[in-house]
Formats: sequence, C-alpha cells, structure tokens
Amino acid sequence: MGPLEVIAEYPGPWLCWLLPILGALSMPLLERLGHRVRDYAAVLFAFLAVVFAASMLPDLLAGHYPGDIKLTTWIEFPGGHPLEVGVLVDPLSIIVANVVAFISFLIVVYSVGYMHGDPCLTRYWFFFLFFIGNMLLLVLSDNLIQVLIGWEGVGMCSYALIGYYYRDEKKRWLGGPPPTPMYPPSHCGMKAFVVTGVGDVFLLAAIFIIFHYAGTLNFVELIETAPRWLHAIAHTPGLLSLTAILFLLGPCGKSAQFPLHEWLPEAMAGPTSVSALIHAATMVKAGVYLVARMSPVFYLGYWHHGVGEALTYFTAIAFIGGFTAFLAASQALVSVELKKILAYSTVSQIGYMMLALGVSGLSEEAYLLGLTGGLFHLISHALFKAALFLCAGSVIHAVESIYIFDMGGLKKYMPITHGLMLIAFLSLSGIPPLSGFWSKDAVFLSCLAAETPLALALFILAALSAALTFLYSLRCLSLTFYGHESHHLEELEHHGHHIHEAPPVMWVPYAILVALVVGVGVLGLIGLVNPHLSPELFLEEQMHHMLHGLHVHAPTVHMELSIKLTAVSVSAVMLLLGGLPGWLFYLSRRADPWELVSRSSLLKGIHTFLWNRWYMNPLYYAIFVDGLLSFKDWLFRGLEQLFFDRLSGAVAGFFPLLSAYIYAGFEREVVDKGLNEGVPSAATALYHRLKRVQTGILSFNILYIGFTLLILILLLIYWFGGG
Amino acid sequence: MYPLTQILIVPLLFAPIAYVMGRRLERNTGWIAFIPLVYTLLLALLVAAEVWEGPPHLELYRWAPEAGLTFGLLADGLSVWMLLTINILCLFVSLYSIPYMEHRFHEWEHETGEHIGPQAYGTYYALYLLYAVGMMGTVLATNLIEFYLFYELMLVPSWALINNYGYGERERIGMMYFLWTHVGAVILLAGILSSYWITGSFEISALSGVVGSPLAPWIAIAILIGFFTKMAVFGLHIWLPYAHAEAPTPISALLSPAMIGIGAYAAIRLVAVPMYPVFRGFATLFSLWALVTMVYGGLMALAQDDIKRFLAYSSISQMGYLFLGLASAAAYGLSGVVFHYVSHGFGKCILFCVAGILISRVGTRSIKELGGLADRMPLTATLTLLGFFAIAGVPPTMGFMSKFMIFSGVFSGALEGSAERVIVAVVAIIMTVLTVGYALWTMRRIFFGPLPERLKEVKEAPPLMLIPLIVFAVAALLIGIYPRLVTDYLLPYFLSSLPK
Repeated sequence: MGPLEVIAEYPGPWLCWLLPILGALSMPLLERLGHRVRDYAAVLFAFLAVVFAASMLPDLLAGHYPGDIKLTTWIEFPGGHPLEVGVLVDPLSIIVANVVAFISFLIVVYSVGYMHGDPCLTRYWFFFLFFIGNMLLLVLSDNLIQVLIGWEGVGMCSYALIGYYYRDEKKRWLGGPPPTPMYPPSHCGMKAFVVTGVGDVFLLAAIFIIFHYAGTLNFVELIETAPRWLHAIAHTPGLLSLTAILFLLGPCGKSAQFPLHEWLPEAMAGPTSVSALIHAATMVKAGVYLVARMSPVFYLGYWHHGVGEALTYFTAIAFIGGFTAFLAASQALVSVELKKILAYSTVSQIGYMMLALGVSGLSEEAYLLGLTGGLFHLISHALFKAALFLCAGSVIHAVESIYIFDMGGLKKYMPITHGLMLIAFLSLSGIPPLSGFWSKDAVFLSCLAAETPLALALFILAALSAALTFLYSLRCLSLTFYGHESHHLEELEHHGHHIHEAPPVMWVPYAILVALVVGVGVLGLIGLVNPHLSPELFLEEQMHHMLHGLHVHAPTVHMELSIKLTAVSVSAVMLLLGGLPGWLFYLSRRADPWELVSRSSLLKGIHTFLWNRWYMNPLYYAIFVDGLLSFKDWLFRGLEQLFFDRLSGAVAGFFPLLSAYIYAGFEREVVDKGLNEGVPSAATALYHRLKRVQTGILSFNILYIGFTLLILILLLIYWFGGG
Repeated sequence: MYPLTQILIVPLLFAPIAYVMGRRLERNTGWIAFIPLVYTLLLALLVAAEVWEGPPHLELYRWAPEAGLTFGLLADGLSVWMLLTINILCLFVSLYSIPYMEHRFHEWEHETGEHIGPQAYGTYYALYLLYAVGMMGTVLATNLIEFYLFYELMLVPSWALINNYGYGERERIGMMYFLWTHVGAVILLAGILSSYWITGSFEISALSGVVGSPLAPWIAIAILIGFFTKMAVFGLHIWLPYAHAEAPTPISALLSPAMIGIGAYAAIRLVAVPMYPVFRGFATLFSLWALVTMVYGGLMALAQDDIKRFLAYSSISQMGYLFLGLASAAAYGLSGVVFHYVSHGFGKCILFCVAGILISRVGTRSIKELGGLADRMPLTATLTLLGFFAIAGVPPTMGFMSKFMIFSGVFSGALEGSAERVIVAVVAIIMTVLTVGYALWTMRRIFFGPLPERLKEVKEAPPLMLIPLIVFAVAALLIGIYPRLVTDYLLPYFLSSLPK
C-alpha cells in the first residue's frame, strides 16, 4: 500500500498532527486575506485536530485499536532495521492525544480574546499550531526518533513563544522585585531551550546506546526484543544503569524535574495562553509520557527476565519525582509572581506523576496501579492547571501586573474568574470530590502498593508536599482575590482604569475546563458505588488492555480497604496540616505570616533559602553561564592569542629563514644526491608537481621541494634502517 | 556526453569570458558566472539520478601513459552529494556576489579613495569560477596526482581572492592562509609519493595496496595531516579565523561551508575507506582530538565579537563534528560526515551570507553594536534562525539527521571499541549543547531585544541577497524531512566498501 492509502484507511492518527502543521504553514498566506480570516482559520485547524483525535475514541472504547501503523521507510539501513515513519495507536497515545488536542483547542479560542490586537499574531499562530502538530506527532509516534523530532519541534515552539515579546520591553521582564535579578523574555526563551537541550542530548546518548544493541527504535519491537538487548547491554556492568539514567534525563529536562527544573519558572515570560498550553497542560507532560511509554521495557527486563540493573530506571525516576514534588512545592510558598507560583506548582505536580511511574516498577503488583496513577494525574492536572493559568491570564490582563502583592480584593470585580479559579485551586489541593483528589489518591495508593522502604519514604515526602500545596494555594487565592485592594489597584482606578471581568471568549474556555474537573470528580464519586463509571478504573482497564496487547503481563491487584483508607486519611491529615496555617494567615488573616517570619531567624533563613530557589538557580548561573563565559575569555586570551596567534607569526617569519638555510645546506648537498640515488619512480610525479608550482614565490617553491624530499628521505631511512 | 568532464570544462571556459566581459558588464558579470554553474548543476543532477538507480558514473581518460597516469572523474555514492553541495553553493553565492561585490567596491573606493575599475569585477568572477572548478574537480578525481592538482587549484584562486578583495590586513592574511594549507598539501604530497613507491600506482583505488606495509601508518598520517590542516582541526586551525573573517564575504561563504569540509571527504576517500584497517588504529586518538576541536572551536566562538570571526570559529567546531564522525571509523559515522558536510554547508552559507547582509546594510561586524534587528529584517532573522538550527541539528532541518548519523556511528564505534571512546562519545554529545548555546545567544544579541536608535532606518536586504538564502533554507528543510535523498547514496556506499 502506498503512503496515501495508509493514511486514507485510518486518517485519525495522521491528520490530527499533519493538519495543524499545515495550518501553521498557511498562516503567513492567510494573513493576506485579513486578520480575522487568519484567526478563525487558526481556530479551525485546532478544531480539526480535535476531530481527528476524537475519531480514534470509538475504537478505544470498543477495544480494537489498530496498534502500530507503518507508513514508509524514512531511512534505509542496508543490512539493518530501517527507520520507519509510523504511528502507534493504543490507549496511552489515544488518551493523551485527545487531552492534548482538546485543551489546545480551548486555549486557541481563549487566545483569540487574550491576544486580541497584538500586531505579530501571525507569528503567534504559526508557532502555536506548529506546537499542536508537533505535540500530537510526539504522542502518536511509534518510534523514538520520531518522538525526538516532535520533542525538538515542541521545544523550538516553546523557545519562540517564551521569547514572543522579543523586543524585551521592561514591562515584559520576569523576576524581581529588585535586588532579585530580572530576566528579559528573549533570555528566558534561550534558557528554556538550552536547559531542555541538555536533557535532550542525554536522551540522545541513551537512544544511541539502545539503537546499537537493539537495532531498532520502534516501541513495539523494542518491547518484543527487550530480553535480548537488555541482556546484551547488561553484559557490560553499569552500562544499563547508565543508559537508564541518561534516558531519564531527557524527560527530566522536558518536564522540568530536578536537576533540570530551573527553566520552567522563567518560561512564564511568554503570553499566559502559552504558559497554559505549553508549560502546564501539554509540553511539560511529554517527559511523563515518554517515561510511561518506555516503562514496559524495563518492567519486563527486571520482573520477567531478571535483568537486575533495569530497576535503576524506576528507582531513579521515583526518587527524582518525589524530591521534585517537595522541592518545587516549597518554592511556590514564597514566590510573589502569580504565574511563577503556578509554574512551581506544575513542577511539583509533575513530580507526583513521575513518582507514580517510578514506584510502579518497584514491585510487580504496583505496576498497573502506578502507570494508571501517573496517567490519571497527568490528565487531571492538565485540566485544572490549564484552567488556573487561563484564570491567571485574565487576572494579569485586568490588573496589568504579574505580582500578587499588586492584586487583592479582586473577588468583587471578577466574580466568574474567582469562582472558577477557586474550584481549580481546590482541585489542585486535592479537596474531595474534585478530580485532583482522585488522581492524587491514585498516586499515593501506588506508593503504598509498592511497599518498599524507598516507596514509603517517598510517600511521606509526597504527603508533605500535599500539605504545602494546599497552603500555597490558599495563599495565592487569598492574596489575589480577598482582602484589601492593593496600592497598585487603587492607583490604576485613580488613573481611570476600570478593572473588569474577562470577556466570554476568555472565560468560557476555562469554565469548560473547570466543568470537566468537577465532572471527573463526580464520576470518581459515583465510581465508589458503580465501578464501571470510575475514571480511574477505566484508565486501569485501558492500560491493562494495552499491556496485554504488548504481551506484558502485569497483575491487577485489588487494594485492601485498609490501605485505601490509609491513603485517604493521610490526605485528610495533610489538608488539615496545610489548611490550618492557610486559614490562619490568609483566609481569616488572624496572623501576619511576614511578621512571624521576621521574628524568627530560623524562619527567615528558610525563607531566604526558598526565595533563592534552594540556591540552585544562582549556582547554575555561576557555573554554566558566568563560569563558562569567563573560561572562554581566559582560553581565548591565554591560548589562542598568546600561543596560536604567535605561532602563526613565528611560522611566517621562520620559513623564509629556513628556506634560505635549506637552499644552501640541504638542497645542494643532500637533495641532489637523493634524487640521483633514490627515487626515479617519483620523478615523473615530481615533474608534474614542479610544473604546477609556478607561483612565482621562489622561497616557497624551494621550501616545499625541500620539505617533500626531507620527508621522503626520512621515510627511506626508516624503511631501510628498520627493514 | 561526458557530463562530469563538462562540469569541469564549461566553467573553466567561462572564466576567461568573465574576465574579458567584466569591463563591459561591471556588476552584472556575476551572471556570466551564474550561467555555466546552472548548466553544471543540471548535469550534476542528471548524474545524481543515474547513480541513484545504477552503478557509479566514471569517465576515464589516458593522461600520461608512460607514467601510468590516468585522468578519471568519478561520481559515486560518496561524491555525488559533495558535488551537488559545492555546485549549489557556488551557483547561488554567485548571485549573492552581484550586489555584495558592488557594495564592497563602493565601500572600498569610499574608504581608500582608490579608483576601482570595472575590471575588478572580471577578475573576481574569473577567479570565482576557477575556484569552483577546483573544488568540484577535487571531489571527482580518481587519481592521486589529478587529485593533488585540483586540490591546489582550490587553494590558488581562493588565496588570490582573499589577497585582492579581502578586508583588513588581507595580504598578510592571504599569505598565512596560503602557507598553512600549502605546507599541509606538501606533506600530503609526500604521503602520496611514498604510497606510489609501495603500490606502483597513482590510482586512489590502489591505495588499499599500502595496507600491510610497515610504512602504512606513516603514509596515512602524512596524507591525513594535509587534510587536517584544511579542516583546521585544533592545533592546525589558526589560519582559519583570519582567512574566513577577512575574505570578501561571498568567498567566506564558500571557504567555510564548501571548502574546508572537503578535507574530511578526502580523508574518507584516500584513507578511511582504502586503508580502513590502518585508519581504525587511530580511532581513539582521533576521537579525543575531535572532541578538543569541537569544544575549543565552540568556546572560541563564544569569545568573539566580530560576527565573521564568530562564524569562522563555529566552523572549526563543526569540523570537529566531521572529525568525530571520521574517528568513529563506522559506516554510519562516515555517512554522517558527508551528510553533516551538506547540512553545515547550507547552514553556514546562510549564516555567512547574513553576516554579509549585516555588513552591507548596517555597516558593522561587531555583534555588540547590533540588536533588535528582527523588527527591521524579519526575513533575515527567520533565515538566520533556520541556518543556526541546521548547524545545531534542530529538526526538521537536515542538521538533526546528519548529527544523528554521526553520533549513531560514534556510539556504535565506541561500544565496539574501548571504554575511553564511550566516555569521549558521551562527553561529545553533551558538548553539542554548546552549539545551541552560542547559536541562540548570538541570535539574541543580533536580532532580539530593544532596537537601538541608530538602527531604526535599517532596511531588509535586496532580493538577490535573500533568494540564495531562501533556497538554502528550503533545501535544509526538504532534506531534513526526506533524508533518504542523501542517505540512500551514502549508506550503501559505506556498507559495501568497508570491511564488515
């Protein structure tokens, strides 16, 4: 079958990413037809992606999806496996693709209102649609190389959209307030691309190692042949662990996990719609998706084929996830920029997903639970965090400031946004029965199911992070919507600026998201009575079905009620733990948190520590930016200019001298003899050589004839002397 | 119809025509250089199509029978894309030269008060065509003496172009360029002659007869040193930043993208393939040397303020990648070398042309004095970004695939080889971030940020300067999406010609 026929037969997984890319390319042309046409066309292309993504849903529900579809050979490796272009249509990819396409569409609609009147919208739509296409390509790919292409594609869009305001006007800067450094958008975009780029090259290194041993990069083939190539890698002690860790660093970069998490807070320099889509709902989940995609390989390797080092994959990602969840949640406590609080929160929540995927491999029984938990939290987080960002966009739009201390008392001006943001924040905090409660519960349960000391330790860390999550949610909510209006707002009003609710084109998209958050939550509640409607069980069944299709046997376990109750009660305790100070400081405002902090030097120290992001960001800058820049200056002055430049000058001066010497001493004495005795066979060649060199510069001619013969003679001496 | 012979003869015949017509046509002499190159490109495409389907295309002549010399021109899987790249670059850069050289001569008259006669155009384009013939002949040669002659033919016109039309201390720098690469070439000649002494033939294909002789490593080293000087690997690189920065910009746009990489091609053609067992012995040493070149070039690029020097150091760093692919001594890695030559060729040619646009439109080469230009030159900014993506290996540009091939070879070579090489491979791949770093940093310093008052009036470049760049960018994207156009030539060649 020709490529076109393959696409025509089952168009969903192809057109849902091809059309947005085509749409992106058509934007500069459509601009000619008028701005309105262009904007609506962008919405249309995003909608088409939803349609084609959704066209795969019936097959998912019916349980007979097509699996791996190969289109054509991309690169032929004679004598080896070719690299093919293909899509893998299975529950994991269908579900994630639908989440991506749907949220993208809502945010495109929101953008029409949010970006209204911007003079460079063509560029915006180009990268936005290009992003959607590449993200769906990434999700639907059936091999690692295609994933990488989508991966780099979304990274490029992220770079271009973070630096969207490339003119770096002062009002677009991020960070501060002084003396904390502030960064212009173009700097932030670059930072994001370079930091994720570091992750990417580690990932590439791992892919090359896998490719060398497995001879293929197709996911299905990788899983099928896993026992063979895992054993081959494990043959060299340490190599499989190295491969696993190199592989995981890629997702760590993309999904902003420790140690490559520092770019995401700065990524907030882009338009808020971009932050919502790329840096909260979709792109940063690519890492989670890839970790989930590859996990069957390592699960098989460790639990079914006894490759000991395969466990590193799970231990490492569990540790990274658990630690990052706590690290970022703690930083969100002290941040003063609305979007940065949400960014830290995103990092922290992705930590939960990574944690679930990590603990899933720590015991044979936990696998299905962990995979489901990670995926469930991915979906639920995508919904409520996108909603939160879109709300934040409306707020920032209204008050014209990124700092929460410039807000306050907005509830009466923006009642709809307030209500929706409140629900989304409650879902983030894991208040039952919203979606966040169920998905976080699933993560906790998978930790408990793994039952290893590491999993339990990480569970405690994750639980503490949940308390922090509730606390920073309350803080953010209260400082934005409750209490007195800030000085900044009064000044705005004074200048005749009326703060108003966002227009429907903006609030309807996030209202839909919040409705879904509530809907999933209610389904979860109904699921307690009627398990058929539980979203978690639905996902678990789908994952089970998918693994079954890949011939990976992962047992389904029914958790004991006592364990379930433990998870729920730990959640409740943590909500109390975070909610109590939250209520005290922010809702009732009985105590002033800042006063408390300034009274105790310990708290003050902690605050400074958190404010400086655990000193990781300054450290990275000191080593990789300032260090590198001064090193290259030092090297340039010390080696290049001091040595090589002079060498060149010396060479230039030295050669005329040398040539005179050679002419006198060497040419006459040695060369003549050498020619007469030595190499008659070379004479013809030399003749042609001599004819060619009429450059007119005598000393050079002599020089290189001499040089040539010198080497020839040395070779002769070597030959006869050695032989 | 002997297409390969025509490819060399036709531009050669046009060189004197350009020289004579220069006086009358002035700036439009560029079209005299353009026409034969269009013709050769058509021929080259025909040959490429022939090689795609069938065996290599060879044209063989008896040259000096008494010395056993033949004169052959060979287009096979290895040389087809070298030929196409050189031809495409020379073709479109000749268009770019038209407005640029006019600007250059005006600027010159303005600065020195000398009168530049119209003859300068004639000389420029005559040398330009000779230079193009030199490069194309080098990649087609089948005979060592023939190869050497063409190799020198690349050098002399490019030296004259730098010497006559360059910037700054052009005469001293031209001399330096001549000296360094020439000394390299002489060592190469020594290697060639000693190989003749063993094999009794000047055919490149006969070089495999050297293997087994105790002299073989020495011959390999002598030949390679010549090519390494051309590639400007670390230690032999100092001529390059000067020559590439001070050459007239269209010539820089051929020196860096088209010429120096020929060193890597020649190393494959003369050493890596015929003397594979010998060459393999150097793998660890060369990997390390390549790594140093990559990193050193990248760091030096970061230290530059002159945009052309910046690009020149970036070329050194990219030659490090080609060198790394060479050092892998694996089929994928060697394919990656030629592939990356093509990507780097298109990408770096875009960037040098952009440098020329900035020189002619803004009038400065100092990155410090630039900024915010994306507002004034949106198309140039977009093309620059694509050029940077092509050398940094960001998909969907072809740089991604070429670097993928290089590193896939590097890793498979290293995993079969020694632990040291695995370490070098991992460090090398981490160091690729350096390319992204200096590319985006420069992008930001030139095009982003606030627009300084004095640049408010800057205009977008004229079409003749932009069209070549658009062609290169489209080519880089097309091949990136459909890499089989390149790999289907290279991979079968290497898999059949390297011992298993």
